[in-house]
Amino acid sequence: MKHLKSLNKKAQLINKAISPEEVEDVVAMQTVVGCTATTDPGWELDPFGGLGSLCQPMESDLYGCADACWWPAQVPDTMNTYPNWGEGVAKADKDWRKLDGIFEDAE
Amino acid sequence: MALSNNNSKRAVLGTGVLALAGLASMPLHAQDAEQIIKDRCLACHTVSGDAEAPSFSRISQQRKTPEGWLMTLNRMTHLRGLELAAGEKRALVQYLSDTQGLAPEEAAPYRYLLEQDTNRVESGIEPALAETCSRCHSAARFSLQRRTEQEWKYLVDFHMGQFPTTELHSLARDREWYKIASTETAAELGQRFPLITQEWNNWQQAVKTDLMGRWRITGFVPGKGEFDAWMSAVKTSDNHYDVTLDGHYADGTLLSGAGKATVYTGYEWRASLTIDGVKMRQVMAADKKANRLEGRMFLAAEREIGGEVSGVRDQNMAALVAVQPSYLRAGESAELTLIGQYLKGDIDLGEGVVVEKILSRADDRITLIAKATGSEGLRTPRVGTAADNAGLAVYSELARVEVLPANAVSRIGGAGGKMEKVRAAYRAVGYSAGADGKPGTDDDLRLGYMPASWSIKPADEVAAHDKDEQYAGSINAAGIFTPGDAGPNPERKMSANNVGRLTVVATVADSSAKVEGEGSMLVSVPDFVRRVLD
Repeated sequence: MKHLKSLNKKAQLINKAISPEEVEDVVAMQTVVGCTATTDPGWELDPFGGLGSLCQPMESDLYGCADACWWPAQVPDTMNTYPNWGEGVAKADKDWRKLDGIFEDAE
Repeated sequence: MALSNNNSKRAVLGTGVLALAGLASMPLHAQDAEQIIKDRCLACHTVSGDAEAPSFSRISQQRKTPEGWLMTLNRMTHLRGLELAAGEKRALVQYLSDTQGLAPEEAAPYRYLLEQDTNRVESGIEPALAETCSRCHSAARFSLQRRTEQEWKYLVDFHMGQFPTTELHSLARDREWYKIASTETAAELGQRFPLITQEWNNWQQAVKTDLMGRWRITGFVPGKGEFDAWMSAVKTSDNHYDVTLDGHYADGTLLSGAGKATVYTGYEWRASLTIDGVKMRQVMAADKKANRLEGRMFLAAEREIGGEVSGVRDQNMAALVAVQPSYLRAGESAELTLIGQYLKGDIDLGEGVVVEKILSRADDRITLIAKATGSEGLRTPRVGTAADNAGLAVYSELARVEVLPANAVSRIGGAGGKMEKVRAAYRAVGYSAGADGKPGTDDDLRLGYMPASWSIKPADEVAAHDKDEQYAGSINAAGIFTPGDAGPNPERKMSANNVGRLTVVATVADSSAKVEGEGSMLVSVPDFVRRVLD
């Protein structure tokens, strides 16, 4: 790695992380209830506790992760549980207003 | 995430300053509920044992909270085709949480999740369980369940089948996730949270007292302030109550509401009330003698916006339940409100605290002007024979301000979309330095909630560079943070959402000084999956 130079901010962040184990330790212990500690990529936070390495805006590649059931406690997984979520919202970056949530509060 | 340790600094800046309740009452007998299970569940589940005490596969080997059972029925409905009428669903939640619930001491460490008080970082979670389970959802979600080890294994299998990419995530793909989860993790859960416990056996045999009667209530509603009220619970049938609430906010505004409550497992109070036109929910637990209720009340439409609530039953005897505010600065005169019931006799606010003037006096509420002298410390106010053991803190100087919640998440929303903004409500707690004169040490004296002015700033250089404080939201004078609008924002780099990392600053005036405390706010993207218990 010492002969390679990080070109963008995300790569610089990765270089700053001393070891993957260290990153995992920090993140696994430090999320607010309701957030996921799955950060590869993350939903609320990136592996460095920031936002710089998240897919942003989230609408631009939403289904890339939701389809693969990456954060099933935060984003409906279309693989098994909510196959129709996102139907009619093929372009989430344009039609994000149509995206609805799963609200279990009520009977 | 940059988690806050409640950094506080002192600077002289110059003078100034469960949808489960509210349901139609219905008598419920165990046979009725068991018959519903037989009628609705046996296409998949099996029954064994004798008719007197049937055992249902995958059901009788678990214990859960009312919310936990509701989630189970929701899941069975959504994923397995269960069909239940609304009344049947209520009957099953009641029956299952009464007969296969959690004892008070089993639920106690995790009540925050039942109370929807989720702006917190869970602590003390076994690392293996944090890596395996609570990296997706809260640790309280599984800690509020009791199962046989085999049932915990089945739960692992359910996750594997339902969410098969689980073993591809970080903290999973680098190890034999399924093997570890189905053996070590299931065994760990079976040991920590077993089906059969002494606590549950004891609670099942304990005499349960109903919660009918009058309750002296104190609490806090974000945007409204502290309140005191009388709550009346009239029993309409087993476990069901009609509830009314009448009282005052601290600024004198009247408060009035009515609704219905249901009690589960003999102590879990769930009420839905409409208070001054706003639908609110109460999640409280009764103590074992059924003389006290403790919990949280929050907006039905926004469970993040709420505050503590507690009640003391009217037992026809004197009780002093709270002094608001709970602090008095030495050398200064201030108005205090003493809240209780049957408050007769002499008022004694403790050593060195003089009552200068009584402004109003009723047997449930006394307002007065008091002045404190003497050393710092907690005094025990008394009216006649009643004492407020929470105490009145006499202090000389505010040394530290703690912002609660210390770590919070809010979520962008609105802007014409279907996802509402998720806000957060803040409060400031003051401390004096204690005997050692150093703030932030164990001997700090907690003064209580204090009025604060609120502001935000970027959490760090990156947040400042991205102008998070401009885009991610704002905080109002009542300490309620409202996040930014949903959707890509073309003004931001790469049209990023209005997410951000902010520091929430509370500034509390203390004589000629101002003391600041800080909390950490993550403004995040929507949570599209909102379970009864996240």
